[in-house]
Order: sequence, then structure tokens, then C-alpha cells
Amino acid sequence: MKQLKVFFVIVIALLPLVLVSCIGASQSAGGWSGPTVEDGIIYAGTRDGRVVAINVSTRELRWDWPDTAGLRSLIYTTPIVHGDLVYVGTYGGQVHAVTLDRGTERWVYPRTGSIGAIVGRPVVVNETIYVASSDGRVYALDTTYGDLKWKSEPLADKLWTSPTIVDDTLFVSTLDGHIYDLSLETGQLLGWSFEAEAGFTSSPAVYEDRIYVGSFDRYLYAIEMGSNASIWKFPREEPAGNWFWASPIVSEGIVYAGCLDGKLYAIGAETGERIWEFDAEDSIVSSPVLMDNLLVITDESGTVYVFDVSTEFGDEAVALKAISIGASVRSPFSARDGLVYIRGEDNSMYVVDIDKGEVVDGWPVSLATEK
Amino acid sequence: MEVWNLLVGNPVLNVLIALSHILGGSFGLAIIALTIIVRLITWPLTKRQLNSTKAMQEMQPKIQELQKKYGKNQQKLQQEMMKLYKEAGVNPLGCLWPMLVQFPIWIALYQAIMKALATTPENLLDLAARLYSWDIVNQAIPLNSHFLWLDLGSRGDIVLAIIVGGTMWVQQKMTQAPSLDPRQESTSRMMLLMMPIMFGLLSLSFPAGLGLYWAVSSVIGIIAQYFITGGWGYLKLRSPFGPTPVKGK
Repeated sequence: MKQLKVFFVIVIALLPLVLVSCIGASQSAGGWSGPTVEDGIIYAGTRDGRVVAINVSTRELRWDWPDTAGLRSLIYTTPIVHGDLVYVGTYGGQVHAVTLDRGTERWVYPRTGSIGAIVGRPVVVNETIYVASSDGRVYALDTTYGDLKWKSEPLADKLWTSPTIVDDTLFVSTLDGHIYDLSLETGQLLGWSFEAEAGFTSSPAVYEDRIYVGSFDRYLYAIEMGSNASIWKFPREEPAGNWFWASPIVSEGIVYAGCLDGKLYAIGAETGERIWEFDAEDSIVSSPVLMDNLLVITDESGTVYVFDVSTEFGDEAVALKAISIGASVRSPFSARDGLVYIRGEDNSMYVVDIDKGEVVDGWPVSLATEK
Repeated sequence: MEVWNLLVGNPVLNVLIALSHILGGSFGLAIIALTIIVRLITWPLTKRQLNSTKAMQEMQPKIQELQKKYGKNQQKLQQEMMKLYKEAGVNPLGCLWPMLVQFPIWIALYQAIMKALATTPENLLDLAARLYSWDIVNQAIPLNSHFLWLDLGSRGDIVLAIIVGGTMWVQQKMTQAPSLDPRQESTSRMMLLMMPIMFGLLSLSFPAGLGLYWAVSSVIGIIAQYFITGGWGYLKLRSPFGPTPVKGK
């Protein structure tokens, strides 16, 4: 009897501890939509599931959508502006087209239900929006009415990347580590595929008939289209310190790839040789952006690094500028006309002036819902 | 929290993912394998507990005699029973240790399941920071969360809850001696039901992977108990017409 009582007391006493400690492992999510800048307006998804349009000059909110909390869903995709509409895919598994001027919904696909969480940014080509979804399929939708043109067969358990389109072929990488090519016209598999040792959240970057993509196995792959084997894997010696999460970019024969080990690598596209590397303070989650000769990266701690890629670096690159915005960054960012637009994890929008080397006066702007 | 992750959380997480890769990408099999490993590690404690249980079973006739003799004087009964335990070298609280030792493992396992299955992009990104630089671990991502009819990252269903509760009830029933004292018997019966019901309900609100761990752990416990204590113990069908069967009588 006494034994049972003691046992009971201990179990009851420890159970809350178990539950409390379990809270730390709950599945957190807030979305990390980046900003798109078009005609002086920033369009971005917020952590409370809205798309906002902010005037860059006045910092005023032009509109936000949806205005009903019940319709909101996490947003990981950066909005796309095309014609008079803004397109956004949601984690709730819908693609929405919202009017550019007033932020009212023009169409939604599917009309009801969900196609599975959308994490990778959709792509618009020739009045068609291509969306990769967590149901493992790629969808092609008409941009005007949101009608389904085609959907691919399931390619994997999940697709968390953006499709890459080259001529009449669509390439997509999968979370389980495959790359497939599909007909842009019909969505049929064209028969080629590539399998890596681990999964991809990195979208394929195509440059001169080659695909460059980073993987969870801590290698960056260069793949000849049509070939099942990689041309090279980077690093050659031993794997990088962590995953290649972000998509690489390629310019003038050089692949620029950020890694979760906090390094930015410049790699010869032809040879796979390391040209230089740069050690940032923290993980690099967002893809680099090239603005003329200026290469811009952000790390997770919120530092923006700017490099002049025309400079002859040795093994280690030196940043032209290192500007801290003081907030963590996981979202893709936009860079144009000497300004870098960043949505921080604090749900604020920052504008960084590269010339001045600081956050522009008057920013950040909170993206939180006004109460 | 960092110390916890360094010493317990991350090792369990990485071993679980490595096991998943070794076992053909089955996260369910990885949880079963980890359960076996945990039971092997805690085997010395389990064995001590089972030996203690066996000794308690053998002492039942004497305990019942004491209950008859001092049934009305609870204080004296407790004193005599403690004396009896002491003479036999049995610690009545010995059965608690394997359970207590498993608490941190449950916590680590819960965290590992949630982190390893990484259902959101944020969680997948956070997972990258916790993995060792073993190829076997990094190549296993993303994990397949489906096992049998279960989605191991989602809450358990009623079938799993019944299995968790049922196996736990069987394991407890094998060791729980009936008592002649009606009050004690009623408390024992309540405890016998309460724990399985509690864990059954917990497995409805926790990820199915944790429920799978509890169920497999109980099954291993039943098997070990069967072989060490030599049979099904007090798990016997009770005749509605006869008296409560008591081992040793």
C-alpha cells in the first residue's frame, strides 16, 4: 500500500516535468516569406499569415490580405508580382492571386481544400504559374483564372523547392533527394532523373546545360543534364560543415553557395575547385543575390555581407561591407538599386543601404497586425 | 537546456536517426531498436526489480498471514511487513528505479521524435544544427514518418492507445499480488487500471512514436518478467465462483 502510494506520488510529481520539458520540442513555425519590390512597393508575407504591401518611400501600409484572421495561413513563399496580380502560395496548401492595387483576392487554387503545404516559391512563365507542393506534385495553373492546366504525378513525399524552368523543361528537386525533368507543356516526366545521397531544399540552378544544387549530405552537386552521375561534388576533400540549404546562384562561370556551416563558397562552375570562401558569423539560410558586381548574402544572425566579386581574393574573401540589422534572418531577401530589403524573424521589414552601410533611416517597419 | 541537449537530447536524436538509416529508412524500426537498447542498458536495474518481484511473490503466503493476523492494526501490519521484507532482503521500492530511469529517456525520445521528423521547415533547419557530422545521419534526412498504420510524428490513435494500455496492464497484473484486506485490494485494483489508462490517454495526445516506445517497452518487460519470474505471475483468469487465487496457496 505504502509502496503504491509512493509510486503514485512520484509518477504524478514527475509527469508535469515530462510535459514541461516536452514543450521545448514542439513544432514551431512562423513562415519565412521574403520581400518582392515592384514600383516602389514592397510585397511580403508576415509571420501572422498576411501579405502586405508597403510603400517604400512613405513606409505606409497600402493594403494587407486577408483581413480575416480565419483565412490566414503560414507563408513561406515570397510573393510574385505579375501583371496586375500578386501570387502567393501558402503552407495551408493554396495558391492565391491578389490584386496589386487593392489587395483583394482574384482567385484561389484549389477552390476548396488543399494541395499540400507550399514552401518553395512558385515560378511564373508565359501566363502559367508553376507550383511545387508538399503532396509531391508540381501544379501548372493559369495566371488569369487559376485554372489547373496540369498536375504531375507524385514525384516524392514532399517538394519544398522552387521549380526551375529552362526552355520547355521544368526541373524540380525533391526533399528525398531526387531531381526530375518534366515537360513544361504537359507535366509528364521526360525520363531523366538524378539521385543524391540525401535530400534537397535547394532548388536547381541551371547554367550552361548543367544543374547546380546543394544537398543535406553536405555536398554541392554539379550535374550534366541527361546524366545520372554528377560531374563533380564540392567540397572534394571532405564534406562541408553542414547542409547546403539555400539554392546556389551561378554567374560568369562561378557558383556562389551559402552553407549552414556559415560559409559562403565561390566555386569554379567548370571544375568544382574552390576559388575562395568567406566565413560568416552564422548559418547562411538565404540564397545569395547578385547586384551587378556586388554579391549580397545574409546570415542567420542578421548580418548583411557585401562582396565585390570583381576583386581578386585569395583563398579567403573579404567583405566590402558587413551590416547588422539586429534581427535574425531566414527569409529570402531582395536587392536592387543599392538597397537590400529583408524581412527579419522579428516580423519587421528592414531596408539596408549598401553605400551608407546601415539600415535606412526610418526602418524597420513592423509587419505585425495593428491592434 | 544546452547541457541537456549536449549530454542526452542530441545523442538520442542522432542514434535514432542513425538507426533509422541502418534499418532501411524505417523510423518505426529505429524506435523499436532504441527501445531494446534502452532496455538492455537498464537491464541490471530491471533484473533487480524482477528478482525483487519474484521474492515478493514467494512471500505472499506470509504476507497474507500477517494481513489476517494484524488486519485491524494497520500500523503493526506495516511494521511486520517491513520486518519481513528486511529479513528477505527485499526492497519494496526497488521496482520504481527502472521506471524513474526511463523518465529522462522518455523526454529525450519525445524531443528526438519531434525534432527528427521535422514536420515544418523551421524544424528541419533546427535539426541541421543538432546533427553530428556522421554521413549516416545526414543522409537519412528526411525520415519516413510512416510505420505500419501510424504516422509517428502525429498523435497516436485509439488502437495504439489500447495497445499501450493493454500491454502495460498485463505487465503490472503479472506482478500485482491480490490482498486479503478489501481496502488494499480495491486500491491495488484502482492502481492496476489507473496507470494503463493514464498512459493510454497520454499516447492519444503524444506523438505515436512515443506510444510505440511505451508499447514495445511493455512487451519487452512482459517477456523478461515471464522468463525471470517463471510464468505469468498473477495474470490468471479469476473464477467468478471461487475465491481469489493466491500464488503459493
